[in-house]
Amino acid sequence: MKSITSTIVRVGRKPAQLGALGAFFDGQSAQAHAVRLSIDETRAELVIAWGNTEVRWPLAEIRAVPDQAEQGDLVLMWPGAPLERLMTDESRIAVRCPELRKPVVKVSRWRIATWANAALASVALIILVLVPRMADQLATFIPPAGEKALGDATLERVRSSLDGTGVGQLALCDAPEGRAALDKMTARLTAGYELATPLDVHVLDQKMINAFALPGGHIVLVDGLIQAAETPEALAAVIAHEVGHVVGRDATRHALRSAGSIGVLGLLFGDFAGGALVLFLTEQLIQANYSQSAESTADSFAHEMLSKAGVSPAALGDMFEGFRKRFGDNDGIVAHFVSHPSLGDRIDAAHRAIQTDMQVRPILGDTAWQALRNICR
Amino acid sequence: MVSHAITSSRHVKNSARLKPFPYLGGGFFVLGLSLSNTEGSVESDNAPTPWNVAREAKDATQAKKTPLASGQVQGAFVGRRGRVFWMALRFGVYTLLTVGMYRFWMKTRLRRWYWSSVRIGGIPLEYVGDPLEKVLGFLIAVVFLAFYIGVVNLLLMFASFSLFQGEYPAYILSFAGVIPFWFYARYRARRYVLARTRWRGVRFGLAPGAWGYVGRALALWIVTILSAGMLWPLKTFWLEKYVTDRTWFGTVRMEQGGRWTMLFRPFLNVVFPGVGLAGLMIWVGYSERFKGGEMAAGAVLAVWSLIGLVHYQVQAKRLLANAKRAANMGLVAEPRTRTVFRIYVVGYGIAGIVSSVALVPIALAGLIVFEASGGSMGAVQEILAGMPVWAAPVVGGLSYFAMFLMWSALRQAFVTMPLWRLYADTLSVIGADAMGQVQQRPRDEFAEAEGFAEALDVGAAI
Ligand SMILES: [Zn+2]
Repeated sequence: MKSITSTIVRVGRKPAQLGALGAFFDGQSAQAHAVRLSIDETRAELVIAWGNTEVRWPLAEIRAVPDQAEQGDLVLMWPGAPLERLMTDESRIAVRCPELRKPVVKVSRWRIATWANAALASVALIILVLVPRMADQLATFIPPAGEKALGDATLERVRSSLDGTGVGQLALCDAPEGRAALDKMTARLTAGYELATPLDVHVLDQKMINAFALPGGHIVLVDGLIQAAETPEALAAVIAHEVGHVVGRDATRHALRSAGSIGVLGLLFGDFAGGALVLFLTEQLIQANYSQSAESTADSFAHEMLSKAGVSPAALGDMFEGFRKRFGDNDGIVAHFVSHPSLGDRIDAAHRAIQTDMQVRPILGDTAWQALRNICR
Repeated sequence: MVSHAITSSRHVKNSARLKPFPYLGGGFFVLGLSLSNTEGSVESDNAPTPWNVAREAKDATQAKKTPLASGQVQGAFVGRRGRVFWMALRFGVYTLLTVGMYRFWMKTRLRRWYWSSVRIGGIPLEYVGDPLEKVLGFLIAVVFLAFYIGVVNLLLMFASFSLFQGEYPAYILSFAGVIPFWFYARYRARRYVLARTRWRGVRFGLAPGAWGYVGRALALWIVTILSAGMLWPLKTFWLEKYVTDRTWFGTVRMEQGGRWTMLFRPFLNVVFPGVGLAGLMIWVGYSERFKGGEMAAGAVLAVWSLIGLVHYQVQAKRLLANAKRAANMGLVAEPRTRTVFRIYVVGYGIAGIVSSVALVPIALAGLIVFEASGGSMGAVQEILAGMPVWAAPVVGGLSYFAMFLMWSALRQAFVTMPLWRLYADTLSVIGADAMGQVQQRPRDEFAEAEGFAEALDVGAAI
């Protein structure tokens, strides 16, 4: 038995000799012990006593079990004996426990850090290495009909995500005269080429200055680009460049990659932020930052195609330069083209590709060009 | 003796201030009094102490309920609606601001609150799960699932486009591939939650057996589908029995008694309208008639089957609970379908109406644009195109998040919490006097917590 001094409950400023009652669970059995509480001032301990038994908790280390629904009483614990619980409505005990609200850390930070790194590494490995490699391999095996279907599905997604109202799909422009002019331009460019999938050139009714290739021979020109192009040759250069991506199956690789990556990122961020993320990634799909080698391959392809069609390949370089002067480096297509470090080199290459004996013919007459510019009207 | 220094007058004065002491049920007050009944105290077992008086007053207010047998302790729900609403709203904002990371803390803290709200015989449940442990479990799940989702989905997508020229076969296959994991995750999540639940200081537990659960769940689902849903009660019963028979409270194992056929009676209210709806469809298809009479019949049958589903859900829970045993302890549950149905209608009604207020800015903006355009569609597009690029996504995003936050907080306050309250208030434990024989069980370490369930969105209650 302890001495009498151990039985004084001191609450607040004045020492008071009173008993408080509580229910104590020892964590060994489900038995509830009706206990009397007191404070041992000399050792700064809460004394929990019943029958002939006594449990002591250091006041400085007592914690309240957090987020309790009933705030009229206290559910207390001591990390030194994590299974024990004390319930009491002598709420003034709280005053004597300085660390009452401090959280108890049960999980080793080191383990968290280890697994966090492992998770990041595996996600990075999958998104940056495994999925792209596999996508590149698979893109060469996908049959034309499958590629076309993939392109159709991607085009639908792009049209939905670009639609400002969020309910419908962005309209495709199809004014007959404009369509005819566009077909004429495409036909002249592709004359003499055996393409695996026939080209399907669309115009999206939007102000963005952009153009992109999708799987299955889809090339999408945004109306903003047509309005910004100074000459039909500049537009033809863009189309030729995108045909280069189609031939290189860059878009197919990209679409397959995003099919693999979207799910992984959705997994990481949960359904709350996941939806927004998928939209963002669709956005990325049309900002398509292909690898540098894919871009220069597309450029050389475009040079060749333009020369064969009797269009000066310089149009490509001129167009880059013109857009850059007018819109700066960070907008839509300019970003797409300018993201490559050596724009100057590409312009030079474009000039070098001009054969001196080349017969340059305008790709579209004035009327046809005007019709094409009005394709969305 | 501990109580030496306690003078009786002091004691009486102090305890008069205290609220009725609800933790210990009947047994405690005998004990409590015998504790007080030491030298210097004037109290005796029969004396009307303030504690005694307070307790009797509390009993009197509960007297309208079914009188409790000896050793029977009543459940109660002590949480308040306002608190859980603000918690859910605040945590939702944190979750948003931390790109989803706070959701582990949100889940933990809401569970702590709900668990502590449920008091059986005055003693609350306690949830001791740790948010960081959930982060850890989630990371572990990501390591494994990232591979599945990334590589397998890519392969499926490739195969689906190559062979079927469409993405839907991939979605279906990908979904089908996840089903076993889903059941696995559900059992593991249950095991985690039980392992982190304590009552009276003693842990609950669920024995390992997730793959056994997966096998049974798949088989029972197939049987249910093949029987056109008629054997649904069989599935309900056997899955519940599988889990209950592996559930422990300390050293005491629970057991699911009863038979699956006992669930058939409440199920009739699903069967009848279901058969009726099928018959109506055949009739409409055959006669090509869909007029007032058919519509009215369809509406009545639809509402009936809806009520029937809720009825089945509630009554199956009740019947299963009443047939559970653990040593000589048992449960008595008396939830009413009517109350649950009312909670669904009123709760989802309130949550839907109030949270859709978040859409008012969008609607207003739309209206203003429409007015300014003079009603022509071309002008509307012109104005939309003239707005800054960020305007639509920002306004839309903010409204979306506001609506989402409101909806989830209101659903907590008006659906989840009332349901918990109903089930807790109508639950009692019989044979509770044997509680002292229940011993502690060892800790279930469980590194991955409910990571898979979290990642696969198994949809645990909270
Ligand atoms: Zn390019």
